[in-house]
Amino acid sequence: MNIISCNNISKSYQSGFLERDRSLALRKVSFHIKERELFGFVGPNGAGKSTILKILMGFIRPDTGTTHIHETLASNPESRHLLGYLPERPSLYPHLSPREHLLFGAKLHGMTKDDASNHINDVLKVVDLLDSADTPIKKFSKGMAQRAALAYALLPTPKILILDEPMSGLDPIGRQIVIDIILEAHSRGCTILFCSHILNDVERICDRIGIMNKGELITTTTPAAVLDQFPPEKQRGGKTPLESFFLHTIEEGCCEK
Amino acid sequence: MKSSIIQIALITYKEGLRHRILYGVISAALLLIIASILLSGLFMRDLLKVILDICQSATSVGGLLIPFFLAINLLAGDIENKTIFAILAKPVSRQQYILGKFTGLTLLTGMVMFILTCATLLSIYGATFIYPQAVFSSLSIQSIVFSSVMAFLGVTVLNSTVILWCSVTTSSFLATLLTLSTYMIGQSTENLVRFLNVSGEEAAVSPMVQKIVHGVMYIFPNLSAFDFKQLAAHGLAIPMQEMVFLLFYSISYSVIMLMLSMYLFNKRDLS
Repeated sequence: MNIISCNNISKSYQSGFLERDRSLALRKVSFHIKERELFGFVGPNGAGKSTILKILMGFIRPDTGTTHIHETLASNPESRHLLGYLPERPSLYPHLSPREHLLFGAKLHGMTKDDASNHINDVLKVVDLLDSADTPIKKFSKGMAQRAALAYALLPTPKILILDEPMSGLDPIGRQIVIDIILEAHSRGCTILFCSHILNDVERICDRIGIMNKGELITTTTPAAVLDQFPPEKQRGGKTPLESFFLHTIEEGCCEK
Repeated sequence: MKSSIIQIALITYKEGLRHRILYGVISAALLLIIASILLSGLFMRDLLKVILDICQSATSVGGLLIPFFLAINLLAGDIENKTIFAILAKPVSRQQYILGKFTGLTLLTGMVMFILTCATLLSIYGATFIYPQAVFSSLSIQSIVFSSVMAFLGVTVLNSTVILWCSVTTSSFLATLLTLSTYMIGQSTENLVRFLNVSGEEAAVSPMVQKIVHGVMYIFPNLSAFDFKQLAAHGLAIPMQEMVFLLFYSISYSVIMLMLSMYLFNKRDLS
């Protein structure tokens, strides 16, 4: 069953003096994600990956096309009862602690303080922030702030996680922690959609991969298909199979929609 | 729906309280009020008026710092720093976000002005130990409190315009500039209209200018109407009819501004 559906989404931005110039960010993008799937978008800068995620979150309205989260229009706030979202640059209130943020998030989901308390401790344990639960976010390192934002997205047990560049700017340990959290959520039955520049991580954890370029979804594939097409032993210059596939797809503009 | 608005209002209030700017505002205004007792000693007469002028001006300035600094920081900052994503990623509509922010800012403004009004009353109480009883013959606590309440309503109206400007602009600088313009226009339209009404043939104003001034009067809030500092300083009662009218005006104007903000903010892309 499709839990996320995007049909023919196009989006352009106006820019320049009096907003006369238009730049196309997405061009008739369609894709569907099944329940419990771990789907990753990869693509160069400006490919439209973040725009898709923001449309799914209802932050941006598409010019054309429709997006549904579990049969509810993505622009409807009710659809976000099922969602957890981590933005590209996680930004929480600097003077508030992770516990205060999580309690706030839980209350927005309609939970009472008593119901939320145990849940908050569990989530903070998952992201390894239990010891810093009452420290203001402004005192956190980038990695800790990222984990705090991830904890905020994980409350209260979302059915779908939408993560925008969850590993960007993190050191290898931080990246591994985030990957472990994603895999743990996936093993609990959570559907995960994320975009990343780090092809290695995408290759390691995704069930399905979508390659985007210049606002178009060029192809969707699976890590197994990539391995078949680009076996590791045949790669030159230390490239991984997905890196070779990605470069090949972008260069050749091969279309398999 | 109500619960989400309250939660957003409370987090806005909490975040606002932890901004050092708020403590700065309160400390500076309290210092000014205490200084008013000392400064009044430099005057020969109207001592109570001097104390009240200084204290009530401090209360107004303290209240105004909320829309000019904290409100823009808390609202345009949310959009600039992308903190808004953390709220809108939850089952919250943009309308709830706007209403929650406005409620939080109103709570902050109320709290600051309440503290400053209490400090004003304490200043007067302190002054009774220094100056003879005759100085306080025209004192009216009721007028001072009502004057502060009216000043609070004026700042609330300004808060609603801040919400509108933050909903349509992309930078906090622009929002500050527009808020400042609104404040300046709001403070001067009443005087301009009064001038137009009294100007005779010897100082004729072109019909075009008259129309523009009247147009501006209806579009921008009449903030000077909420200023009762002079009446309170002289111990005169503020007419009840005027207070009721201003209460109705402030609620209506704020509701219109918020509805416009919600409409425009709902159409906006948050990229």
